[in-house]
Amino acid sequence: MTTLSRMRDLAQRLLDYEAFAGNASEPGESATLRVYEKLRQGLGEFAGVAGFQSLASRALALARTEAPSLNAVRVSTDGALQGLGEIEHQFDIDKVQAGEFPAGEGGIILIARLLGLLLIFLGEALTLSLLQITWPGAALDECSSENGRKA
Amino acid sequence: MSTQDRVTINKLSTGVPGLDEIVGGGLPEFSFNIIAGAPGSGKTTLAHQFVFANASTERPALYFTVLGESAIKMLRYQQQYTFFDPAKLAGAIRFINLSQVVLEKDLGAVLEEITKEVEKANPAVVVVDSFRTMVRKPQGDMDLQSFIQQLSLFLASWQATTFLIGEYAEDELRDNPIFTVADGLFWLRQTTERNSIVRKLQVIKLRGQDSVPGLHTFRITDAGVQAFSRTFGLTARKRNPPSDRRLSFGVPELNKMLDGGVREGDSVLVAGSSGTGKSVLATQFIAEGTRQGEPGIVAVFEERPEAYTERATSLGLDLETPQKEGKLTILYLRPLDLSVDETMQSILDAVQKISAKRLVIDSLAGFEMALSPGFRADFRESLYRMIFALTGIGVTILSTVEVDESFTEFPFSTYSISFLCDDILRLRYVSIDGQLRKIMVVIKMRGGNHAKDIREYEITSKGVVILGKRLTNYQSLISGIPEHSNRSRQKEQPSQDTGIEHKT
Repeated sequence: MTTLSRMRDLAQRLLDYEAFAGNASEPGESATLRVYEKLRQGLGEFAGVAGFQSLASRALALARTEAPSLNAVRVSTDGALQGLGEIEHQFDIDKVQAGEFPAGEGGIILIARLLGLLLIFLGEALTLSLLQITWPGAALDECSSENGRKA
Repeated sequence: MSTQDRVTINKLSTGVPGLDEIVGGGLPEFSFNIIAGAPGSGKTTLAHQFVFANASTERPALYFTVLGESAIKMLRYQQQYTFFDPAKLAGAIRFINLSQVVLEKDLGAVLEEITKEVEKANPAVVVVDSFRTMVRKPQGDMDLQSFIQQLSLFLASWQATTFLIGEYAEDELRDNPIFTVADGLFWLRQTTERNSIVRKLQVIKLRGQDSVPGLHTFRITDAGVQAFSRTFGLTARKRNPPSDRRLSFGVPELNKMLDGGVREGDSVLVAGSSGTGKSVLATQFIAEGTRQGEPGIVAVFEERPEAYTERATSLGLDLETPQKEGKLTILYLRPLDLSVDETMQSILDAVQKISAKRLVIDSLAGFEMALSPGFRADFRESLYRMIFALTGIGVTILSTVEVDESFTEFPFSTYSISFLCDDILRLRYVSIDGQLRKIMVVIKMRGGNHAKDIREYEITSKGVVILGKRLTNYQSLISGIPEHSNRSRQKEQPSQDTGIEHKT
């Protein structure tokens, strides 16, 4: 399995986890945004606002090559994501109309790219340790076990 | 106030090998410390080692980064060190970036942010890296001195041991009010000497602790910072009382010349020119020790341990078995870029590992040449410290040194190190009857009797073998070009009985 596909799996697990948690607390809120905001909060703490913003901008630029629909999305100076809600809503409409477009695909790619950058800069062990601060337990279990580390 | 009434200050491990010894056993708990030095001198690495050694999920460490290198890049590089445990970032260590607060607000806001996080996390360790960058920004109501003062008071009350990291030049040390507040001030220096980098650490100030004064060499390896105390970690150990026990050289006639052998705990110098048998004698000394159950270390610089062992075998001396049994270690030290203290630490580690009683350094010239050029100036001083430390705990040291063979002079050592030796044995060539022969003489033996005899010897398949009695047939033997004396036709004089000199 390539690094990119592993990061997509991890991104998917985080989205699933947040979708489940979101349905319980705030139904209707985008799981992608919930994951992104948690990453912004967690990574921003040690990387700083500017540090996170530059990482997120790079991740978005990389993700756009795979998902052109993300061209409408912007990373603001404080690192917040703008415009993702609108395109995810459009995905849902498209899904209903075409019956085949995967909902939230752009979001998964963006999160996967962000995690991929962390992996490149910090390595797997440290990336997982940092993610464990935000997502203790279940969401990372499979990834942790694969690397001989348990959350 | 009696000792039992005084508060006990806990000492925390610095996590830096060698530094605990330098700071007097560990860093005082709740102390407020500054690590200063030029960029690249190892300040952040040293702080990280302390953090990783002391942080736990119960009492975590807060590592505040201000303006400076990117936190992601810092972690990218720091995780290369073996002390870096990524798992600790999941709860025991938190990195908090304050650059935005510094950029947008003033020192008061920075203090507020630190206060908030400390009250929330109850940390055992707090690091601000680098607080100096805050000074360069025009400040608001609070100046840096006031900021440091308040931070120090607050963190001490919250029972946190603190490090502030700052880039400072040497001339900024004087009259700096910030340093007054600190309990501990650690200065890291890095200089280039010829082709080598020389790193040194100084504990300029440390309240409540008896730290080792002076500049200590340190090195940054993949294990992080490693410091080498000027006292080699042996200050805490009691010096053994002088011993009267004599150690055999493995050369019976030489033992007689030394009034029974080398006194235990002495430092012996065997000086002679190339080919006079200094190494052979040293090998006999160490082999005799292992034969008598005394573990030994041989530090060689001019040949590899295998070759050294093989040469011993050719002299009928078994060095292989004691090596296998862990009673003998032959260290091959050709560090080239290592500091003298670092090299000596390798010897000390080996001595302590097998509780060695005998140490051979073969040779001092090779030792000095193996050092980085920048450290050669410290050689004699460091050698003195090591010999003093080791002989103090009862290790007997034999060093060989090559001296220029002069046929007009009789130098003991070209290194002027004879002052740090208790006993000096001089080997030299003499021209006698158309042959280049060898003679030896005991020049000095502190606290004991020794023969005044000049004895001829040969190197045979059994090692150094002393021939006959003292040479009485020649005048000016030590010049190397003796003359036949009239006594050559007289009966030879007895050797040992009249040749003993008593010195105290």
